[in-house]
Amino acid sequence: MKILVVDDQKANQIMLTGLLTSFGHEVVCASNGREALGLFEQVQPQLILLDVMMPEMDGFETAPRLKAMSGSVHLPIIFLTALDSQDTLLECLKVGGDDFLSIPFEPVVLQAKVNAHARVRELSYSIVEKNRALAWHTARMEREQNVVQHMLENALADNQLNYSFVKSYLRATSDFNGDVCLGRKGPFGNYYIFLGDFTGHGLAPATGALPVAQAFFSMAERGLSVGDMATEFNNRLYKVLPDDMFCAAIVVEMSANGDRISCWNGGMPDALLLDAQGRLAHRIKPQHMALGILSRSEFNSQLEHYFLSPGQRLVMFSDGVVEACNHKNQMIGEERFANWVTEMLDSDCSEVQFNAIVQRIDDFTGNASLNDDLSLVCLQCQPTGLEPQARSIKGYHLPFSLRVTLTEYDVRDRDPMQSMVDSLAKLDALQPHKTSLYLLFAESFNNLLEHSVLGMQSELKHEEGFERYYEERQSRIEQLQGLEIYFDINYEPNLNRLAFTLSSNSEHRFDGRCDRSTTIENDDTYGRGINLINQVADKVEWRDGGTLLYVSYSLSRPLV
Amino acid sequence: MSVTREFSADQKQLIITIKGKFDFGLVQEFRQAYSHIGDSEPLVIIDLRETEYLDSSALGMLLNMRKSLGSTVKGIHLINARPEVKRILDISRFEKMFTIA
Repeated sequence: MKILVVDDQKANQIMLTGLLTSFGHEVVCASNGREALGLFEQVQPQLILLDVMMPEMDGFETAPRLKAMSGSVHLPIIFLTALDSQDTLLECLKVGGDDFLSIPFEPVVLQAKVNAHARVRELSYSIVEKNRALAWHTARMEREQNVVQHMLENALADNQLNYSFVKSYLRATSDFNGDVCLGRKGPFGNYYIFLGDFTGHGLAPATGALPVAQAFFSMAERGLSVGDMATEFNNRLYKVLPDDMFCAAIVVEMSANGDRISCWNGGMPDALLLDAQGRLAHRIKPQHMALGILSRSEFNSQLEHYFLSPGQRLVMFSDGVVEACNHKNQMIGEERFANWVTEMLDSDCSEVQFNAIVQRIDDFTGNASLNDDLSLVCLQCQPTGLEPQARSIKGYHLPFSLRVTLTEYDVRDRDPMQSMVDSLAKLDALQPHKTSLYLLFAESFNNLLEHSVLGMQSELKHEEGFERYYEERQSRIEQLQGLEIYFDINYEPNLNRLAFTLSSNSEHRFDGRCDRSTTIENDDTYGRGINLINQVADKVEWRDGGTLLYVSYSLSRPLV
Repeated sequence: MSVTREFSADQKQLIITIKGKFDFGLVQEFRQAYSHIGDSEPLVIIDLRETEYLDSSALGMLLNMRKSLGSTVKGIHLINARPEVKRILDISRFEKMFTIA
């Protein structure tokens, strides 16, 4: 240990240096306070023996300065004093002294005191080190939380909760909310809501919210059913979450007209469906376990569907709402909350009324601390007013001609038309037309196959004959041999047109001669194919004596 | 599972969903989906949100269903049809026999 002895008496310096060196310490001496301060930076002493009475600067003035120079690490100062007046001793303590040593003294006392203070110094040093480590970890934790917060905010940037027909409120007990509320419009003008409650608060549930939010937005955009959504959330969370974590959730879809909702409730409190007067019409109870518990095979995606009349409202909330307590430790409770809802949302769910319910929760809980995250959503069932999604076509394609020759192998047990359209639809410009293209290809192909190649009679399709017709078709296909059907497909991007001709190595005509002409209004189950081709295509022509069909389709035709 | 059926909680609606391709390949599955509907006179809802391809045989199957169910159901709604599918239904004047929503 490095010790600084500050004493103007040469004799004392020599005596103390001798003793301390013999105890194994390193000693530097100063003759007064000023000299001690000058030496401090260079020597970096770990303990000070300080005389009281000295020229230039005495011990009382020196002690606080030395303490200040030592910073956050404790620097023990033992005053050397010949005086034992009580006032002097008190003054020593007041200026920051830690102990006294009266001269003369027994060497063993010096040794004991130095050792005792060395331990304190060591302790202080290790505390400072630990504080430094702690500060570093705290900063690091904060940085990482900021990263997650940032990711979460970005993931939720597309959250669409600002429509007039939806009101939501979330309150978190920590920086990260264990409750998640997501909203998104679908491609049919429909609207989806996800309200979830992860076990726990903080970072862990926030991390679980990420995959759910991503899956929710992308599935909503594709217009999937709520059952498929719930299945996907469950699969993801089952894989990702540890066994003791899960996510209670309610997933709802409202139709574009606002006249129908589909709902999957796993482990959330009953959602309250109100009638137009605000009376409780139905409780949508949790029919399922929370997400992330059941394996794929055990999971049940059964939905509940409700038809609504105008003005109905759906109120959903996490258990944090009904379990919120006041200062007497009384919970709000399901009954009381349902009463508030029916009382306050009597005619509408306006901003004012929604905020009044939130206020009521706040008034009830008062200053009592929140034990759980709290979320509340009200969905007003009305036409959403959201436009169905229009697909934008981008990209530039080259023209091409393509000949496809099908044989009986391609026709048996397969649907060559689906393969063909699936392939064509990989082009951006054709993708939005795949349903129409499939219809044109499939109807033309079936007409050729059934009437020219297989020699079937359409009338067979009538009612009970419908299935027999297709059985017969299948059995005739089984017997086909040496079949060749030719598709010549021509794509002309400059004309925005896709055209094809269809023919076969069969001699027979298939120009509809055998397809009884039908009016569109009749509801016969047959004779529709050619009509559909005529209506969907721009140009339909029979060529080569009814053995070749030419169909042209305009890609600039609006879809809606 | 390209055809699924599901009753609403109150048994008043039967929801049939058809995914991917709707053609005669589904004829039995589809017929089963609307069989055994009980005496509750439900409303039948055909959800076409994921129907990508259909041809005249699908239209025939819908018409067969309508004939077969007759007055045992409250009505038949075709919902969530994509624009292209909707156009095919319009061309076939299906709004005269079904509610298209």
